[in-house]
Amino acid sequence: MNRIYTFFAIFTRFLIELKRYPFNTLSSLATLYLIFLLLFAGARYAQGFGVNIFGEGLEALVVGYLVWTFALAAYSDLSWEIMREAQQGTLEQLYMCPFGFRFVSLAWVVSSFLSSFVFAGVLLGLMMLTTGKVLHLPLGTILPLSFLTLAPIYGVGFVMAGLALVFKRIQAFFQILQFAFIPLLFLSGDSFWAKALPLSLGANLIRAVMVEGKTLIELPTLDLLMLLGTACFYFGLGLGIFKICEDLAKDRGLLAHY
Amino acid sequence: MPMGAILVENLVKDYPTRKGVVRALSGVSFRVAEGEIVGLLGANGAGKTTIIKILCGLVRATAGKAEIFGVPTYRAEVTRYVAALLEGSRNVYWRLSVEENLRFFAGLQGISLREAKKRTEELIHFFGLWEKRKVTANLLSQGMKQKLALACALVKGTPVLLLDEPTLGLDVEASHELRRLIRELALSQEKTVVLSSHDMGVVEDTCARVIILSRGRVIADDLVRNLLSLFRTRAYRVNLRNGLPEGVLSKLSVRFPTLRWIPEERALQVEIPPGGSFYELVDLLREAQIEIEGLSRSEPDLEDVFLRLIQSEKKESQ
Repeated sequence: MNRIYTFFAIFTRFLIELKRYPFNTLSSLATLYLIFLLLFAGARYAQGFGVNIFGEGLEALVVGYLVWTFALAAYSDLSWEIMREAQQGTLEQLYMCPFGFRFVSLAWVVSSFLSSFVFAGVLLGLMMLTTGKVLHLPLGTILPLSFLTLAPIYGVGFVMAGLALVFKRIQAFFQILQFAFIPLLFLSGDSFWAKALPLSLGANLIRAVMVEGKTLIELPTLDLLMLLGTACFYFGLGLGIFKICEDLAKDRGLLAHY
Repeated sequence: MPMGAILVENLVKDYPTRKGVVRALSGVSFRVAEGEIVGLLGANGAGKTTIIKILCGLVRATAGKAEIFGVPTYRAEVTRYVAALLEGSRNVYWRLSVEENLRFFAGLQGISLREAKKRTEELIHFFGLWEKRKVTANLLSQGMKQKLALACALVKGTPVLLLDEPTLGLDVEASHELRRLIRELALSQEKTVVLSSHDMGVVEDTCARVIILSRGRVIADDLVRNLLSLFRTRAYRVNLRNGLPEGVLSKLSVRFPTLRWIPEERALQVEIPPGGSFYELVDLLREAQIEIEGLSRSEPDLEDVFLRLIQSEKKESQ
């Protein structure tokens, strides 16, 4: 018995389902691109009146929007998946994995992160074509930074997944939460509290890399340590709350019900 | 003596609800030896599914012990020894093909790709799904979906298999085929099987031993043949060619109080009391010039046993 085979099985299933629902995959991409086009048109219109609504320029808009779409996938993928599995009757089978359901969830989260990365890459390409702005893309810096930036959001995702196990229908809460991320993306990130919140510090660092062309070594060490700390804290907290919800669901026999 | 595969001791399960606590299991105890096929029988709410889910580690017991090969079922590693088919066919991915489903569940158990491929092919052949191996599960018939769900539980290769209502929603033919496959599997692969069902026929057909539950308690735990012989009575059915003339039934009932007339079948149903003789009834009918067309001895089936046990348990608890 090997965890690698379990991870491979989950990743393969993830890819098969992406391939089997091409319309869903493409329409998600088209919707996000259309929203960006609206934002872009609005920004151009505002610039015509001398108002710069996205601070330093369009590059900030592109990076902020990219991180936001990434964050949306990060916090919602797992909980949607749990709701879907409970609905179709396969959640209990996943719970019967010898490595535990949290391993299954982590494998799912990694699969989702990898696919989101490709998805975000395509979206970024489209946005750069539209705006005519070329951003810096040092993958060796962006990949770990994105992972640490999104880890707290995956923590929120685990909290949502735990709530989905117990309460089943939490779609309305989802919709509220997705807009709560927007202000976090545009916090200036100078104060300790702004840095301690999920997303804001990471978004600022990614912006510094993609817009200003900085590399991992050039970023402030303290900020990187802070990013690592918040990533571990929120992710751990999310897993802890998920465990509490899981115990509650097992105690009440809620795993199969939807 | 075969080794104990499943141990359940004084198992209690309370479900907290808004109206208070509902007790689903009240001190259930039993053991299942390795290689045994045991049926769980009970009405709705008797506690069958709760027992199965506690054994899979999906529901946490309030008190008592549940172990599989010595591993407490609340620990994740218990799933190295146990696989389950729950709620009939709702255990497979409808958008994955037969082959993809099987490989996924093998991988979930941590089985290598080569071994998963080998087991997948074997099971596809065993269940007669070769022609459908590339077809997605949503396009299969109900019977095939159920076969696939069972195959997905088997591909994990665990020594213990728990089946909750495996024939739910199947037509008679598909149900009989699945029963045959379960019997064959249990024998050829020496699996320990616990099967819960409302359908007495399924349990009688597949299980050597049966545990009957009522309101969260075990009210009988014995071999099916022992339970049947316990309730075997000297019950006969006598078919009469020209029916039963008026007044005769009351005369016969004096001697045979259990006598019952079934007009639509023109038959008398009777249980011969201890010390009585069936020939006495035949003599009485002959005296009344009633012509006998045929007679048969009626044997109890598991359904009769179940109903009698449940009724006597209800009487005792009142």
